[in-house]
Amino acid sequence: MMSQFVLSNLFHRPVRTLIGVLAVAVEVALVIVIVGLTSGMLQETAKRIEGIGADIMVQAPSAQMFLVMSGSPMPIKIGEKLQEQKYVQAVAPAFLQFNTTGGVETIWGIDPESFRDVSNGFVFLQGHDLEGPEDMLIDDWEAKAKKLKVGDTFKLLDHDWHIVGMVEYGKAGRIFVPIRTLQDLVGAREKATLFLVKCTRPEHTGDVIAEIKQLLPNYPVRPVKEFMTLMTSTNIPALETFIHSMIALAVSVGLLVIFLTMYTTVLERTRDIGVLKSLGASKLLIVRALLTETALLCFLGVATGIGLSYLVRAGFLAAFPTLSILITPGWILRAALIALVGAIVGATYPAWLASRKDAVQALSYD
Amino acid sequence: MAITVRIQTHSSSETQTELKTLEPILKTENLWKLYHTGKVEVPALCGVNFDVLPGESVAVMGPSGCGKSSLLYVIGGLARASRGKVYVDGNDLSMMTDAERTKLRRHKIGFVFQRFNLLPALTARGNIAIAQYIHGDGFDPHRFDVVTHLLGLEGRLHHRPSEMSGGEQQRVAIARAIINEPKILLADEPTGNLDTKNSEIVLEMLRRLNKDLGQTVVMITHNPEATAYFDRVVHMRDGVIVDGIPAD
Repeated sequence: MMSQFVLSNLFHRPVRTLIGVLAVAVEVALVIVIVGLTSGMLQETAKRIEGIGADIMVQAPSAQMFLVMSGSPMPIKIGEKLQEQKYVQAVAPAFLQFNTTGGVETIWGIDPESFRDVSNGFVFLQGHDLEGPEDMLIDDWEAKAKKLKVGDTFKLLDHDWHIVGMVEYGKAGRIFVPIRTLQDLVGAREKATLFLVKCTRPEHTGDVIAEIKQLLPNYPVRPVKEFMTLMTSTNIPALETFIHSMIALAVSVGLLVIFLTMYTTVLERTRDIGVLKSLGASKLLIVRALLTETALLCFLGVATGIGLSYLVRAGFLAAFPTLSILITPGWILRAALIALVGAIVGATYPAWLASRKDAVQALSYD
Repeated sequence: MAITVRIQTHSSSETQTELKTLEPILKTENLWKLYHTGKVEVPALCGVNFDVLPGESVAVMGPSGCGKSSLLYVIGGLARASRGKVYVDGNDLSMMTDAERTKLRRHKIGFVFQRFNLLPALTARGNIAIAQYIHGDGFDPHRFDVVTHLLGLEGRLHHRPSEMSGGEQQRVAIARAIINEPKILLADEPTGNLDTKNSEIVLEMLRRLNKDLGQTVVMITHNPEATAYFDRVVHMRDGVIVDGIPAD
C-alpha cells in the first residue's frame, strides 16, 4: 500500500516529479561527466606516455606530472649527461607546447632520430617521418578530428606546417613537430620539457633511476610503466580540489531542488497530511512516506542521469573527437550514492515539518 | 459514570425487556478548549459535560463558532483539551501523549469531514485501503467488500476523487472511516457540501451503520432536518451544551 501511495503521489504531479528527476539527473550527469572527463584525459595521456616504449621519464624539478600543464623547461644538454649513465641505451628530449587556438592540444617537439631510438619508431599509416623544419606528424585521431590528411598545410602557433605523415594513435602526443622549430617558435632554444630514457634492459630501470637521482637531485625521475598508476587526480595539483568543487556544486544544486520540491509538496499536501493524521498515521509513517517518495524520485533521477551522461559523452565526442571521457561503474555508483544522500538530506526537513504539522490546522488548510 | 438503559430483546415466542448498565463509550468532564490568538485567549469549549453510549447516534447542533468542531476534534484526539477529561472507550485522552492519541485514533475512531478530504492521488480503493494499511492489520478483502457493498461503491473503486460526485466522495470517506470497525464514528457536517438528494443518501447510510451494525455515531450539523436520523440531539452555544433532547 505504501508503494502504491508513493507512486500515486509521484504521478499525481508529473511536472513536479519531472523537475525533481531532472535535477537529480543533472547532478548525477555532472558528477559522472566531470570525473569522466578529468580521469579520461589523465588515463588517455598516461596510456600514450606508456605507449612510447621508453623506460624512464625525467622532468624539471618544478614540473607537473600532467604534462600539458608543465611549463618548466630544462637545458637540453642534460640529455648528454643522461646518455653517459650506465645501462642507458638512448635518451630523447621532448619539448611540449600547450596550444588552445583551434582546439586544446599538446604539441610535441621531438628529435626524430632519438625519439625513434627510445620508442622503436612510429607506426605510419600514411607518409613518412619528420625530415624538414616545417614538417608535422599527426595521429589518426587528430586527422579524423580536424579532417586533415597527409599533404595538407596546417596552421598552428601562427605557423604553417606541412603534414608529412599520419601515425597510429597511442604514442606520446597527437601532433609532432621538429623540436628545434618548436623551441624557436616559443623562444626556448636549447630547452626540453622532458627526457625519455631507454635502458639497455628493462630490469635496469631501477638502477638507472637511482643513478639519475644522484646526478640530478630534486628532478622527478619516474619509471614510465608506473605512469598510469601515478596519473590520478590526487597527484595533479588542484585537480582534486576542482573535482570536489564540481561535485559539491552538483550536490548543492540537487539538494536545493529536492528541498524545494519536497517543501512545496508538503505545503501542497498539508490537508492530506491532516487526513493521514486523522486516520492515525504516526509521524514516522509520514516521514517514511515522504522519504520513500524522495528516494524513488532520486532513483528515477539517477537512471536518467546515467543515460544523460552517456548522451553528453556522445555529444562531446562528436564535437571533440580527441577528448576522452571515462565513465566507470565505480563513479556511476558513487554519483548515485551522492545524489541519494543529497536528496534524502534535502527532503529530511520538509518531511520532519510534515510530521510536526498540527492535524486540526492541516485539515482546515486551503 | 455508568448509565442504566432499558433493552428489549426479541425471541420467536416473546419479547423480553431487561435493564442493562452501560458505560459511556465517550465521556467528557468539564472539558475546556482554549485557543490563543497572540496574547488573547479565546475559549472554544467552556466546561462541556457530554456522554455517548455504545451504539448511540448523537447529532450536535449549534450556530457557527459555538465550539462544535472543537468538541469533535478534542473527543477525536486530534486536539488536546486545555482542561478537563475526555474518555474514549475508557481511555483518558487528557493523560495521553500525542503518539498515544494517534494510536487510539487509529484503532477506535473514524472521521468523516464536510469537505470529504479524500487523498487526491489515490483511487477510491486506495483511499479506503490506506486506512487499513495505517490501522496495521493489512488489507482485509472480506471487510473491504462488505463495506464497499454497503455503501454502493463497487462500480467506483477505480475512480479518483476528481472523477466522482460529492455524494460518491462522501460515501468513500464514510467507507474509509468505518473500514477498521472503529468504536466511534465522528462526522463533521458530512452533508455540508452536498445537495439534498446526496445529503439524504449520506444520512441514511449513517443511520443504517448505526441501526444495522451498531456503530456509535456523533455528527455535527447545521441542518435541523438531519437530526431526524439520530437518536439524540445535543445543542451547543458559546462553548457549552445547553440541552440534550431525545429526537423522538
